[in-house]
Parts: sequence; C-alpha cells; structure tokens
Amino acid sequence: MNDLFFFFGAVRWQDLIDVLINSYIIFRLYVLFRGTNVVRVLIGIAFLWFLQRLAGYLGLIITSWAIQGVTAFAALIIIVVFRNEIRSVLQVKNLKTILWGIPRKGIETPVEIIVDSVYELARKRIGALIVLPGREDLGESIHSGIRWQGLLSREMIMSIFWQDGPVHDGAAIIEGDSIREVGAILPLSHRKDLPSHYGTRHRAAAGLAESTDALVIVVSEERGNVVVAKGSRMSAIRRREELVQMLEKHIGVHAKQGGYMRKEKLVLGAAALVSILFISGIWFSFTRGLETLITLEIPVEYMNRDPAMEILNTSANAVHLHLSGPGALIKSIRPEQAKVKLDLSKGVIGRNTLTITPENITLPPGIFLKKVEPLAVDVTLDILVKKELPIQVDWVGKLPEHLILTDARLTPEKIQVIGGNRVLGNISTIYTEKVSLDYIEKPGTITLKLALEPASLKIAPGSKDRITVEYVVKKRYP
Amino acid sequence: MIVKYKLSLFFLVILSVELFISSQIFAQNTEPTSSKEVPIKKLTLSKAAMCEEVKEHTPKNRTVVYSMNLGRVICYTSFDPVPEKTFIYHNWFHRDKLSTKIKLVLHPPRWSTYSRIQLRETDKGPWRVEVTDKQGNILRVLRFSVVD
Repeated sequence: MNDLFFFFGAVRWQDLIDVLINSYIIFRLYVLFRGTNVVRVLIGIAFLWFLQRLAGYLGLIITSWAIQGVTAFAALIIIVVFRNEIRSVLQVKNLKTILWGIPRKGIETPVEIIVDSVYELARKRIGALIVLPGREDLGESIHSGIRWQGLLSREMIMSIFWQDGPVHDGAAIIEGDSIREVGAILPLSHRKDLPSHYGTRHRAAAGLAESTDALVIVVSEERGNVVVAKGSRMSAIRRREELVQMLEKHIGVHAKQGGYMRKEKLVLGAAALVSILFISGIWFSFTRGLETLITLEIPVEYMNRDPAMEILNTSANAVHLHLSGPGALIKSIRPEQAKVKLDLSKGVIGRNTLTITPENITLPPGIFLKKVEPLAVDVTLDILVKKELPIQVDWVGKLPEHLILTDARLTPEKIQVIGGNRVLGNISTIYTEKVSLDYIEKPGTITLKLALEPASLKIAPGSKDRITVEYVVKKRYP
Repeated sequence: MIVKYKLSLFFLVILSVELFISSQIFAQNTEPTSSKEVPIKKLTLSKAAMCEEVKEHTPKNRTVVYSMNLGRVICYTSFDPVPEKTFIYHNWFHRDKLSTKIKLVLHPPRWSTYSRIQLRETDKGPWRVEVTDKQGNILRVLRFSVVD
C-alpha cells in the first residue's frame, strides 16, 4: 500500500498533462479514421508493440528485434498505403473537425428512394450497379466515371440505368442525396468462388467491395434479383426491409435514433477510455522502477570565459553524476544527453572554486539528479602573454665512449611563445623533443620539434615550430 | 675721502669678477684630463665553458653532453681583467629548477675559477649554468645535458 502511495506521490503534473495530451491524440486518430483500414492497422501496430515489450520482458531477443523492425516499418507502410485516407482527412476536413469535431454525415442519404428504385429496377429486369462509398477515398479504384452531380430521385436512377441510356453499363456513385458519378468502371474481382450465374456486373461489385469499404448494390438483368456486396461478402437480398437495414447501417442513418446515439456515445467513451489506458500503460512502462540508479562520468564544459584568459588547470575534467529515473529511460540514456556547464564569466586570475549546482546540470526529461561528485571544481585562470625564450636540446641515450659532443648550435636560438602569465613566469627555457645520442657517430644536422610543456603553451604566430640543430662530434682524447 | 673709498670698492669688485671667471676656466681644463688619466676597469668574463676536467687552469674536453659514468660536471670561467677582489656566482639549474648556487672569489688582476657538481641518477636531463656577478647580473648562460 505504501508503495502505491509512493508511486502516485511521485506522479508529477507534467506526467498527467503528458498522458492526457497523448491520449487525446490517439482518441482523435480513432475518431478521424474509424471505419477505415487505418484504424485496424494502427491497432495491429499497437498489438505488435505490446508483443515486442512482452518478448523483451521474457528475454526473447530475436523475436523482440524482429517485431521492433516490423513496427518501425509499419509507420512507413501506413503513410504509403493509406495516403489517400490521410489526405482526405487532412485536406477535406477543417482544423476544427481535426482537433475536436465528431465527423457525421452532413447530408443524409435518402435510403427509401434508393431501395424503391432498386426493387423497381429488379421488377423491370433492368441491370444496375449502385455504389455507396464508405469512409475511404475511391479515386484510386474507380475509373472513367462521368461527373453527374444530380439530385437523387427514383426517376433519375431509373433513367440512368434505362437500357437505351448511354451510361447504363457503368456504376452510379451516390454520395449523400446526390448522384456524383455515372458510367464508372469498377475493378473486377478475380475470386473463383463466385456463383457461375454472376456476370461482369457482379464481379465489378465484388471487386470494389473487396478493395474498399464501399457498399455496392447489384441488380441482375437476367434474374431480376438484388445482391449487395460489402467487404468480401456477396448477399442476395430478397426482402426490402433487409436492404433498408443494410443501407442504414452502412451510411449511419441510425444516428437519428436515440438508441444509436447512445451507442455512438458509448463507443466514443470507450475509445477515449482505451486511449487513456493505452497511454497510461506506456507511461507506466516507462516509469516502472523509478529508483533505478546510474552513474555517468560527464565532462565539464566551461562557458563565458574571458578570451584574454586561459584555463591553466582544473581539479577535475569530468564529474560523476548519480542519476535516478524510470528503468526504461535510465537504460536508454547516453552520456552526451547529460551536460555539466560551469560559468567562468566571474572568473579571476588564479584559482577559482566553482560549486556545481543543479542549475549547472542539464538532464533528459524524467531523469533526476541524486548526487554529484565532486561538488566543486577548482579552475586556475591566467591571462595570456607573449614571451621570447631560449631553446635547448633535450639529449637522451648514450653517446659512444670514444666520442664527445663539443657543440650544438640551434637555429633559431630563441622562440616566441604564448601562454599564461603565471606559467611563463616560471619557464626560462623551451626544450626540444628528446634526441637520442645512440646513433650519432659524426657531426651532422637534425631538425627537431619543440616539446611545449605545459600543453597550454603555444608558439606565437610568425615563429618557426621546427628547430635546426648543427652538432659537432669529436674523438675523445685521454 | 669718500672718492678714495669708492675707487677702492670698484677695484675690489673688478678683482672679484676676474677671480670668478678665471676659476671657471681652470675647472673646464682639468676635469677631462683627470678622466683620461684614470681609466675605469670593468670585470670581464673572458672565457666560459662546460668541460670534463680542468688541467693547469685550462678546461679539457669541452662538451655539452655528460654521461652519468663520468660522475661530475665542471663549469669553467676565466675573468680578465678583475679590477678588484670580488666574487661571482655559478647558478646550476636542472630544467628550470635551481639546483645549487656556488659562490666563487675572484682576485685582481685576472682570475680563473670553476665549480663542480657530482652527478646522481636523478640528475638526467637538460641543465644550464648561469654565471652572474655579485649583483646578480647574468654574464653568460651555459647549457648541457646529463644522459645515460
């Protein structure tokens, strides 16, 4: 119980806002794309993500990786495959609809007119193909349609499919209370299980219903019966009421009825609840194990240093940060995400002790600082000066016993260096790199680099960084 | 009586002016003469060398590299002239750290002297000897290295 109190006590107001914002985004995605395949794919991705977490928890490494890869590609697949649905949501609907509106059909389709017309056509054995689109865009599936935009009426439907009419062979697309297109060519189904008496009109209906969420009504010219294609189902409809029910379900006429409204509210409420639970679950999975600890060694960055000053020495180049946070975040944290920055704007020449406070430390969201070691850093600052110093060769090794190195002339003999005033005050000579005597047998000339020590020293612009040494070797006389 | 007194006073003034002018002329003539006759002698370092040994007041085996096997390092200096009894310093630096400061007495009219340090294992590396007068003015810097 105490653990539960501790857990909820650790919930910050930022966490609540975080959960609410993301829950609302999920809920809005559902509202905008419900009824389309996008939602089904999103649910599939969420299921994959859950499986991946489960596989990770159970230690199934390869399964976890494989699902992770598929989930990552799924986002790309959604954008490519459902680009039309996404476009129709983003382009057609206004900002208000996207952000908080509940999309409903603005103009109701006169179901009775369609049903009367369909059975009139069937009675007269006039073939017909009527398409009632769902939420998906049919632009990719339907071709060669003739723009009609006529108000829907029984007479209009009868005249479109009249056998002598120029557009009676194609499909009529009904949107709301108007006929949008006529003479449209639908994709044919390649199914082998369709009854043999089904003709091209039935195959076209099946083809469109399979590839989209549209409902297609077929009136057989030969048999005079009515068939409805929806999804992969082809249903022969004998009773008028049955067709009315199917059309109302498809176009959402139930919205007028109180029971349906209640059901709709229940569905939306459930969707909102699922969204909150889903995001809370993700949040909980991140915050699980709040007291996970990690120690990172982070290099100290110094800011706002006076350009005339040089950092001569620091007591620590890096500090140890003891961090706590959710296990998932702690596991994924990288050292470069944490920064320790110390302000040198108030630094003075000499030793400066800078205390490391939380304000000096930048951490990723959700990660908390427990301890810093060391708590303070000593930084020695100095002003830069230029000084001319003599150069001396740093001989090492052993000269053969019979030889004696009598002279070594350097060109140049002196060099100008730039460094901290206090450092240069204690330096009287600049030494060359170490030169071995082991292989010297006779007089010669060598070119050497300088060994600047400490490393903060720099050769002044205009001075050579290479020194020529002309040495003289003679035989030793006893 | 008064005229006689005024005349005496006039001659006295004339005599005083002449005496003053003649004394100024004498000083101008004698001063340069005296400076030429007594030349100022300055302590001068005529020779300085790092060597392995000194024989008969002369440095032998001058070198800039000393082996540890040799065991010692000698800094030889010779002064000519030495105007008066004085002293100098040989300041021995290992890298930039003063290792030892040796005081050496000089006698007129000329004087040769040397200082010597014994080598230890920790003495390897570059060295320099600063030769200074008693006021600390650097007369010469000699550089060498102690190696294996």
